[in-house]
Amino acid sequence: MRGAAAAALALGLLAAVPVLTGRSAVLNWLFLVLLHAGIAQSWNLLAGFGGQVNLGHAAFFGLGAVVARILWLDGAAVPWALFAGVAAAGAAGLLIGAPSLRLRGAYFAIGTLALAEILRITFANAMPEVSALSAAQLGDYALAPRYYLALLLAAGTTTVAWGFSASRFGLGLAAIREDEDVAAAIGIPTFRQKLLALLASTVFAGLAGGVFAYYHLSFYPSFAFSPIWTFDALIITFLGGVGTVWGPVVGAAFFILVREALALRLAELHLLIFGVLFVLVVVAFPGGLMQAGAALGRRLGAPARPAQRPQQG
Amino acid sequence: MRRVVLVLCVALLALPASAATPQTIKLGAVVPLTGRYAAGGAQVRAGYEIAVEDINAAGGVQVGGGRVRLELQLLDDESDPTKTVSRLEALAQEGATVYLGGFGSDLHAAAAAVAEKNRTPYCGVAFALHAVHTRGFRYLFSPFPKSPDLTIETYRFLNGSIPADQRPRRVAIFQERTDWGREMGDIWTARSAENGYEVVLRADYAPLSRDLSDIILRAKAAGAEAVFSLPTPPDGITLVRQMKELDYNPKFIMMIRAADAATWPQALGRDGDDVVLSPGWHHSIRFPGVAELNAKHQQRFGRPADVITGPSYACVQIVANAISRAGSADRTAIRDALATTNMQTVVGPVRFRPDGTGMVTTMFVQWQSGRQVLVWPRNMGGTTLRYPATPWRSR
Repeated sequence: MRGAAAAALALGLLAAVPVLTGRSAVLNWLFLVLLHAGIAQSWNLLAGFGGQVNLGHAAFFGLGAVVARILWLDGAAVPWALFAGVAAAGAAGLLIGAPSLRLRGAYFAIGTLALAEILRITFANAMPEVSALSAAQLGDYALAPRYYLALLLAAGTTTVAWGFSASRFGLGLAAIREDEDVAAAIGIPTFRQKLLALLASTVFAGLAGGVFAYYHLSFYPSFAFSPIWTFDALIITFLGGVGTVWGPVVGAAFFILVREALALRLAELHLLIFGVLFVLVVVAFPGGLMQAGAALGRRLGAPARPAQRPQQG
Repeated sequence: MRRVVLVLCVALLALPASAATPQTIKLGAVVPLTGRYAAGGAQVRAGYEIAVEDINAAGGVQVGGGRVRLELQLLDDESDPTKTVSRLEALAQEGATVYLGGFGSDLHAAAAAVAEKNRTPYCGVAFALHAVHTRGFRYLFSPFPKSPDLTIETYRFLNGSIPADQRPRRVAIFQERTDWGREMGDIWTARSAENGYEVVLRADYAPLSRDLSDIILRAKAAGAEAVFSLPTPPDGITLVRQMKELDYNPKFIMMIRAADAATWPQALGRDGDDVVLSPGWHHSIRFPGVAELNAKHQQRFGRPADVITGPSYACVQIVANAISRAGSADRTAIRDALATTNMQTVVGPVRFRPDGTGMVTTMFVQWQSGRQVLVWPRNMGGTTLRYPATPWRSR
């Protein structure tokens, strides 16, 4: 209950930010935190809770981004453009998941990785023109609506993650993650459960892509399929705590804010220092920043809560 | 207590004075220092840093009655357009009056849009894509040859360097499947006939191809005497190697971009010779200030200024001149002053068209005996074009 109250308070504070500050750099940073929290959480839904490692998350992010961008720039209303992007990403998720989720081991990871690369190369060839807003569109550009969309995305994915953590469906997913044969033996419809988790994951990845498309001033369509989107999501989730509800959110805040602060002060060394910081966190706390927070809480004498077991592999 | 009040009064009196004439004017640059454009970004950075040092060493920029120093704040965007955007926003927060750009058309397209949104003047070099200039941006200025300049000047260069009866009239265009590839291919084709050339093949290919033998054989079959292309460095190397393997010997080979790299002769040895490029600038061009820039670059890096360092240096010269003419740190006034630029720089005389493209000198360079030498414009410090290209078997 206390957690829910804290979450509501955080949401309220974040919603008030555009009213409190007109500084576009601050709003831009927070937008990036929320966008990355959304992407990472959407990856976490399947990989963290269900143990199915998706190495082609960029495919679904990219589909959402490109479809939404084309429709939006063509004059469609933003909600419709976003919805179409979400539908495209979800449909692609079902298409790739239906055959590959029947397989075990690395096949799902390899299949998704290949899908993202195929789409990236195809879009680079088919749509080589940079997609940029015109001077007139830039005149009307405001960051606040983009920010609220990203807030909605982060809140939505985190609510679903919370639902996963506290439901029968989520327990089934956890059982699949720990041992799929045992899960099947105790009556969990493993394939259906995995496919549903994949659908949730890809739908939110598509929404994140759509929000990115609505936000960005200028990018090449193939950039939305760059492996950077998969690996940022993965790094953020591991940094925060894989398989936890708040891990991706905490990870995204750390990832974006520390990275940007370092980039602003150190022209060249920022990547090196950020890399060392990342390695230190992962080595010291395999359960991510959530584990670090729990350890700190215990030190300070807070009542110990059973830490969630970090996802292996 | 009285002393405190006195200090506060002095501080309050000092405030409006400092607001009217700033002590420094901040130039905010976002440049790729890491990632795929890192090598190009390093050249851009050198140009900005040396120029700001030079201007400050001379006392700064004349603004109104006093002189103001320039302050360069340079951030890395890791060759990622999303980071370009967030870091330019951060620079706006830090009080940047003018933006300086990075390298590569995708990063520039994102950066120019931020500049337009924030109504902050933007000067960028190292991108030739003209499409960025067709969106009605008012704050974007680029003293760098664009696709129309490069393509039209290609024909002027050929006709000015080769006697009429020896010109390579039949042209093959190897067109990369990118927006810039398409843009260049379109203008090369459109302007061929009026200059006395015929495009006998226009073949496109996906970037980073391992096998380009198909388009080479088609050019050979079509009897193309000249090859115009703008490959990435790996594709350029593949093209030269496979042209040699297939014994296709065009008289003239132009590879914009791929042959810019200093590593070109290491990768190809003598096969890299005779290839022509248009990197945007060359250190042996005879314009005022180039010798001094070369000397400083030599001292710092052990070689004359690199091809992108010159235009980057010119960007700062142009911005400083505009600030001086604007007479204040007001962004709109500086933007208006930039639009009416008419000055001499290390890239030669510069003026801007209404779309922000610079009317600048387009240069052509050729690899001769493992060295890049200026071959166009003539009488500007360059040497003669080596033509026709030596057949592969005689190298």
